[in-house]
Amino acid sequence: MELASSMSRSNDETVGRHGLPVFWPALLMFVVAIVLPMVAAALWLKVMTSVVIYALTAASIALLYRKLGQVSLAQVAFMGCGGWVALRLAHGTTLPFELSILAGGVFAAVVGMIFAYPALRMRGLYLALVTLMAAGGFGILVNVTQFPNGGDGFMGFAVKSVSYMPRPLLAQSDAAYFRYCIAVVFLGFGLITLHERGKPGRAWSLIRKSEAAAMAVGINVTGYKIWGFALSGFLAGVAGGLLAGNLQLLDARSFPPAESVMIFALTIVGGAWHWYGAVIAALLYRFVPALLNDVGISGDAAYIIFGAALIHALMTAPRGIAGQLTDLVSRLASGRREGR
Amino acid sequence: MISIRDITVSFGGVTALNKVTVDLSDKVVGIIGPNGAGKTTFLNVLSGFVTPKSGSINAFGTEILGLAPHRRSRWGLRRSFQKEQVVDELTVEENVGVVLDSLPLTSGEREQYLAAALEFTGLTSVRHARAAGLNAFQRRMTEIARCAAGKPKVLMLDEPGAGLSQNEVDVLRRTISDIHVFNGAMTLLIDHDVDLIQAVCSSTMVLDFGSLVTSGPTREVLSDPRVRAVYLGVEEIA
Amino acid sequence: MGVYGLFLVSGLAVGALYALGGVGLVLLNRATGVLNFAYGAIGALGAMSAWQVLQWGYPEPLAWVVCLAIGVALSTGYGVLIAPGLAHREPVVKAVATLGFGIAILGAMNLLWVVNPRKLTLALDSVSLNILGLRMTGTRLLALSAGIAITAGMGIFLARTRLGLMMRTLADDRQLAAVLGTPIRKVETIAWGFSGFLAAVTGMLFGDLVRLDPAVLTFIVIPIIATTVVGRLTSIKVTFLAGLVIGIIESFLTLYKPLAPFRVASPFIVAILVLMWLQRGRRLTFAGAD
Repeated sequence: MELASSMSRSNDETVGRHGLPVFWPALLMFVVAIVLPMVAAALWLKVMTSVVIYALTAASIALLYRKLGQVSLAQVAFMGCGGWVALRLAHGTTLPFELSILAGGVFAAVVGMIFAYPALRMRGLYLALVTLMAAGGFGILVNVTQFPNGGDGFMGFAVKSVSYMPRPLLAQSDAAYFRYCIAVVFLGFGLITLHERGKPGRAWSLIRKSEAAAMAVGINVTGYKIWGFALSGFLAGVAGGLLAGNLQLLDARSFPPAESVMIFALTIVGGAWHWYGAVIAALLYRFVPALLNDVGISGDAAYIIFGAALIHALMTAPRGIAGQLTDLVSRLASGRREGR
Repeated sequence: MISIRDITVSFGGVTALNKVTVDLSDKVVGIIGPNGAGKTTFLNVLSGFVTPKSGSINAFGTEILGLAPHRRSRWGLRRSFQKEQVVDELTVEENVGVVLDSLPLTSGEREQYLAAALEFTGLTSVRHARAAGLNAFQRRMTEIARCAAGKPKVLMLDEPGAGLSQNEVDVLRRTISDIHVFNGAMTLLIDHDVDLIQAVCSSTMVLDFGSLVTSGPTREVLSDPRVRAVYLGVEEIA
Repeated sequence: MGVYGLFLVSGLAVGALYALGGVGLVLLNRATGVLNFAYGAIGALGAMSAWQVLQWGYPEPLAWVVCLAIGVALSTGYGVLIAPGLAHREPVVKAVATLGFGIAILGAMNLLWVVNPRKLTLALDSVSLNILGLRMTGTRLLALSAGIAITAGMGIFLARTRLGLMMRTLADDRQLAAVLGTPIRKVETIAWGFSGFLAAVTGMLFGDLVRLDPAVLTFIVIPIIATTVVGRLTSIKVTFLAGLVIGIIESFLTLYKPLAPFRVASPFIVAILVLMWLQRGRRLTFAGAD
């Protein structure tokens, strides 16, 4: 009977709304964290570190998209905000790395909340366009102010004699920094999960379904929407701080609106409904182009596939690659036909 | 008792509600009227989605219009919609429990209220099921459970019977009749099914073109020639 | 006219490009409900192909034909093959799909042409005219006059012709249009085709006047979208004027030292301010079926 099969589907802990249970990702991350630096060459290690970092950014996009139904085309700009503050604090104070990136995250969260306010009254396309315009504005802004690199003054930008951001005390080497990023990103994913399984998750789900119904149930729609933007901004800001630590400086030319648009597209392709979708998105964003470059093909040629994959995802596979993988695993695991 | 005084709502040039004044004091009150009469608009004013141009609503001593929409739920105003608003990816108990999230309850109290509401609507056996797998009747009952959970003061149900089979409407009828016994709340019921209205509503109000035609005990209202004229569009010569 | 005149004309020249791009986007959005993020990419591919044709030694008219043909073909292709599959989705989903299309085209361009500085030179570049004491190259004049002509022409077309009427009906209410017997697919296809034509023209002019680079031309759609935002995604005239005004603001900001470095952000600032103004006083939105 329909009801029985749906009950067993939700009782089955290996699949369902949460995808794979927490144990497996934790184990996987642990294994990757230990093993990868041992086998990867130096350049690849830096690439994989950036993959881990962008997975957090993709997760911040996915959070807004699946829980609040909002398209944000400005997450790389948020990374830039967080990265800027982290760099400024690193060069101007003796605060530990952790506090610098946390401060970056908080700054990005505040910016997110400021943009959330006018965004509250917009939906769908208009909201996406507001974020796009903001990303465009940020791209120009940061090219004027540049990123702090040890220079004088509030802006902290020096044209010559550039200083590098110090790595965290616990993670000076590239290998250690890779593991450090995995740990931080894991905490970030944990923060998202905590929200989703609690009151905010339920509130957001209802807001996405119908704001009127949400209000009718006592949910402070404005508050929860702003909080969603704040959380999303915070995560992207922290990712920006981590990125600053990876390269130990940031280049203003790396933050045009085009990058925010690309990572959004890939988040949809990877799948916005599962945490591993964000990882897939980050792999597509940074690993695949590096791989192609290595083999002598222009990394940007992968865009052909990305673009087609985005259209495909929107038309037939809304949960992206991660969703299709989950369906596949559930079919294999249960042995009988499930789902569509 | 709910006292509604001179509620007027206009959208652009259209007057959706015209100085509606009525007292509602029974356990289950019906709201009927042809399509476009303003019934849903009336509920929307109560919910806070529409701000009336003028008028006031006093429910059990509280000026409702002074409360922000999301605070009305915490006060005790609950609402179901013409198209049920049940979230597919949440389970039944999560869908129902969300109404208790905004209340200051201990987890023990929350579980108590939740279990009671699920029991009341016959959903206890499917409480852990994802709403996506439910049929239309179960989804509707989930919405009603959400309305009934805790200690609400007023439940507003907008055409809950639409699309249900006769058996299901019978179960719905019994559930609505039992609401007051279950949690002491008043129910406002919009529906087109006259049998349902007659069976559960002790009093009824009739809207047409935004104006109150009449209100009072259901049997009298349903046999009022003005009410028949409203539905049939014919002036009955007494 | 003096210094201010100089900046005014310069601003008009820049603005004309924004305006021309915006008009094509708005026309398509009105007829199909799709905000085409691939607009820049389509124009870019047209411009790159035109450049290639010139490199091979063919005459400029052929380059234009190739460019326009590619624009029309790409746009119509999307409109006929992919857009119908998303016809019933929300506007934001339809727009994001065109984003995918644009990204794919960018990928193709990166595959076909190695990243290298290139210059697109058109015959009109070497022609210049004196406008109110200022020299304007022929190409810039072409951009400005094309923009004016197309905006005026569009107005007449939509108001006076049968096809224009059908497009307006479609934009207003798709279901009603269907009931009235409007050949929806045919009208939409024509809209896609013409929008592709305009995209190609815009791409060519941007390629000549700004930079011939696939990524730059693809993402120039972002400031162009700013002009459409001011036009509420529906008004061709307002979009056109917005483009000109943004160009003029951008130009005049050069004179105001503190803000001068940020002047290229003018489209974005104007768009954000206008968006917030348009949405003022609106209550919270109601998603869902309520």
